[in-house]
Amino acid sequence: MTLRTRIAVTFSLLLAAVLAAALGAVSATNRGNAEREVQRQLDVGVSVFQRLLESNRRQLTQAAQAVASDYGFREAVATRDTDTLVSVLQNSGERIGAALVVLTSLNGDVIAASGLHVKAGTPFPVSSAQRSSLAGDGATSLMVDNGRIYQLVTVPVRSPLPVAWIAMAFELDQKAAHELADITGLAVTLAVNSDGRWTNVVTTLPAGATSQTDVVTRRIEMSKWGNSQAAAILSRSLADARAPFERLTKVLFLIAAISLVASAVAAFWLARNITRPLHDLTKAVDQMRSGTYDVALSVQRSDELGVLAEGLHLMQTAVQSRDQSIRRLAYEDTLTGLMNRTAFGAALSEALAVADAGPVAVAVINLDRFRRINEHLGYSVGDAVLTKMAARLAAVPSVHSAVARLAADQFAAFTRLKDAANLQSWGTSLVMALAEPVFVEAQPIDITATLGLALAAGGSASTDELMRCADLALEHARREKRALAVYEEAFKPAARDQLSLLGELRRAVEHDELRLFFQPKIELKTGRITGAEVLLRWQHPTRGLLSPVDFIPFAEQTGFIRRMTRWTLDHAIAQGAVWQRAGKPVGLAVNISADDIGDERFDTRVASMLTRHQMPPALLTLELTESGFIEDPTRALRMLDALAALGVSLSIDDFGTGYSSLSHLARMPVHEVKIDRSFVQGLESDPETEPVVRSAIDMGHGLGLKVVAEGIETEAAAARLRSFGCDIAQGYLYAKPMPLAAFEAWLEGKERVPVIAMPVDFKIEDLTDSVSLAIY
Amino acid sequence: MMTIVQRRRRIVAGVLAALCAHAASAGMVTVDVTTPSGAPARDTVVVFDPLDAAPPPSHDAAIIDQVSKRFVPRVSVVRTGTSIIFPNSDRIRHQVYSFSPAKTFTLKLYAGSPNTPVIFDHPGLVVLGCNIHDNMVAYVGVVDSPYYAKTTDAGTASLNLPAGRYRLRTWNPNALAAVPSQEIAVQAASLTVPVKIDVSSAPTAVGWPE
Repeated sequence: MTLRTRIAVTFSLLLAAVLAAALGAVSATNRGNAEREVQRQLDVGVSVFQRLLESNRRQLTQAAQAVASDYGFREAVATRDTDTLVSVLQNSGERIGAALVVLTSLNGDVIAASGLHVKAGTPFPVSSAQRSSLAGDGATSLMVDNGRIYQLVTVPVRSPLPVAWIAMAFELDQKAAHELADITGLAVTLAVNSDGRWTNVVTTLPAGATSQTDVVTRRIEMSKWGNSQAAAILSRSLADARAPFERLTKVLFLIAAISLVASAVAAFWLARNITRPLHDLTKAVDQMRSGTYDVALSVQRSDELGVLAEGLHLMQTAVQSRDQSIRRLAYEDTLTGLMNRTAFGAALSEALAVADAGPVAVAVINLDRFRRINEHLGYSVGDAVLTKMAARLAAVPSVHSAVARLAADQFAAFTRLKDAANLQSWGTSLVMALAEPVFVEAQPIDITATLGLALAAGGSASTDELMRCADLALEHARREKRALAVYEEAFKPAARDQLSLLGELRRAVEHDELRLFFQPKIELKTGRITGAEVLLRWQHPTRGLLSPVDFIPFAEQTGFIRRMTRWTLDHAIAQGAVWQRAGKPVGLAVNISADDIGDERFDTRVASMLTRHQMPPALLTLELTESGFIEDPTRALRMLDALAALGVSLSIDDFGTGYSSLSHLARMPVHEVKIDRSFVQGLESDPETEPVVRSAIDMGHGLGLKVVAEGIETEAAAARLRSFGCDIAQGYLYAKPMPLAAFEAWLEGKERVPVIAMPVDFKIEDLTDSVSLAIY
Repeated sequence: MMTIVQRRRRIVAGVLAALCAHAASAGMVTVDVTTPSGAPARDTVVVFDPLDAAPPPSHDAAIIDQVSKRFVPRVSVVRTGTSIIFPNSDRIRHQVYSFSPAKTFTLKLYAGSPNTPVIFDHPGLVVLGCNIHDNMVAYVGVVDSPYYAKTTDAGTASLNLPAGRYRLRTWNPNALAAVPSQEIAVQAASLTVPVKIDVSSAPTAVGWPE
């Protein structure tokens, strides 16, 4: 039921109930009133009738007494002067309009009479009993004579004892009845019962109305007269009495009906007036809910509904603007104004949904070394760089409206290629667009980008998949230190492998599936062995021996690398201790990751391991890449200081490829640097490499560090490095990484560089064995 | 209300009484009037009409006073020819009248004593009334015989009568019917005559024995 109907029906029902109650009450009261009124009228009628009789009686009595007490009349009675008596009677009768005046002897014989048919000398039909009941100064009685009713009064004539009677009577005729009826408002009937049968003598009822049923009557029994009996019947028609009340009730009903209809119409109108704008507003709100904000909310009213509409309108505007800004936040990168990842994903999936429109190419673009710009030049410069880069990307015609910023220094773009073969050239165009130096505040900033490209050729690829492929390609490009890589199936680790790799790694650590391989380090000057780098291999139960490339990146991503470093260190130190105890100490270099440097308890772990296995710290070298410092250089420096304080040597891996500044390097407590294999391998093919290598070696020496070269495969390279003053070499030229047994066999007969294991702060007491001064 | 026949009979009786009036000795006669229930009937008129000799006429005088709207005495017996004066002892006026056949008269409204007495010159019962006060009633029995009396409260009346024969008439204003007269022979000795009379509570003024 709608609000409108409910309001209208409620009001109508309420009014109807009130009216019904009121009408019912009025009707009942009227009915009762009519009956009470009739009864009251009858009571009054009876009283009036009795007063009428009483009044008649008095009048008759007075008149009769006046005659009886007249001396002349007494004299006439005494002298039986009949003529005189008749004339006196006649006169007195006429005076009051009596129907009959009779003078009788004490015996009841008529002496003289006036009116009616009474003749002198005949007995007057008043029995002695009646006369005595009438006696006593004007007792009244009703006399029935010849079918007529008379009200009779008898008065004695005294001279001075009673000698005669005067009887005087009024007739209760039609006129009297009508008078009574007029006074009382009742119908008056006088009836006589003679010989057991009632007959109406006089009635004011209209002819034929005597048999009415709906009539209330009051019967007044009057005195008997011989065998006859008289009664007065007062009656009132209830219908007549009710008539005015019924008229009133009818009028009330009419008024009620009209007001009910009128109020129902008014209620409907009012309800409609309220609900129609409500309906309009509801419709508008519905549309707003579905995102349409330009719905007119114009209820031109000054009442509450108008206020509501105005409020909704304001709300609409506010919601709309908020919606827009939320959309902006949700789908737009606030800095560059490009799409964000979500919007890009949506746009890409839309593009992918259109099949047969040509292959879709996706590029994920990473700005190299962007973090350093932020660090060294400040975030505002970084932001400016990002903005300019974004503008450049967006300006590439082929990627119009499909460029996004995914993360701090990562962008993405997609385009629809005419031909899959154009992928490489599209990627190149993006690289070229970003290659130019960026000028921020007239300062040139050199920045390069690395690109990962992926192609959705079949049209079945999902957005996520495509993005991940591009990510993998990017990863590959970075690893390969190339500006650009196109995704290949080979980049993709088998999904099952990925899922199970962590579990398998965990198992590998727990079940000792990992193996330590050792690659010797050779002193270039002498060709003697200075130690070995410890390398990790995984003896996978099904896949055979796995190289670190297959699992270390994954371990680094998942953080499992810490656990693996611990394992490696533990086993390497244990082995080192074994050799140490055997009197053949070997300096061991173990790679640690940036994660390990971030572990605050790393130094204590290393110290406890050294103590547990009782290996001199000087035999241990920890190799770490420059990237290990980038996250938090201060913290990293603190950790390196702590490690150096243990007496452990520190080595910077991949020296020359990283970003480490000389100032950093100078502050770090490192003992050696390792020149990256790419430089070493370039020595023979690229003449420009030589000064780089030479200066790197000189720089290391300048800082007081030993310089190690790795990846030496030829004697020529070794000779070059030797001539440059490089201290230690490592590579296939000397030996591949070997398992323990092979390494130990290889070691036999080789001359070793003597190890002076005397660390800076090493506590002598910590070593159970004597400090070894091993000389090989 | 006397008929002609009644009046004639009364005249005959009067003559007979006059004829018997000269008897020599006397005797005490007491009439004891009671009601049928044995109660004394006071104010009963007792008249002895001498049957042997007619009594001589009389010119007596009598008074019927009007006191407190009453005639005093209520019942009087007088000889024929007696003058009765009707003084008025009340401060209000009265109009004494009679419509009785034995004496019809009216004394116009007066106070004090009227100038002229009324002579009751015919035997019979006269009922007196006041035209103003219907309740004032007096009875005057007019008789020829000199021998009459009214019973006392004890209902008796005693008379010293010369010996001889008499007719005894008795009448009471409340009598319901006439009491038959009886002949009494009076000797020297005392004599008590019992008479029964039926009375009502209200005056009837009937049955005056002629």
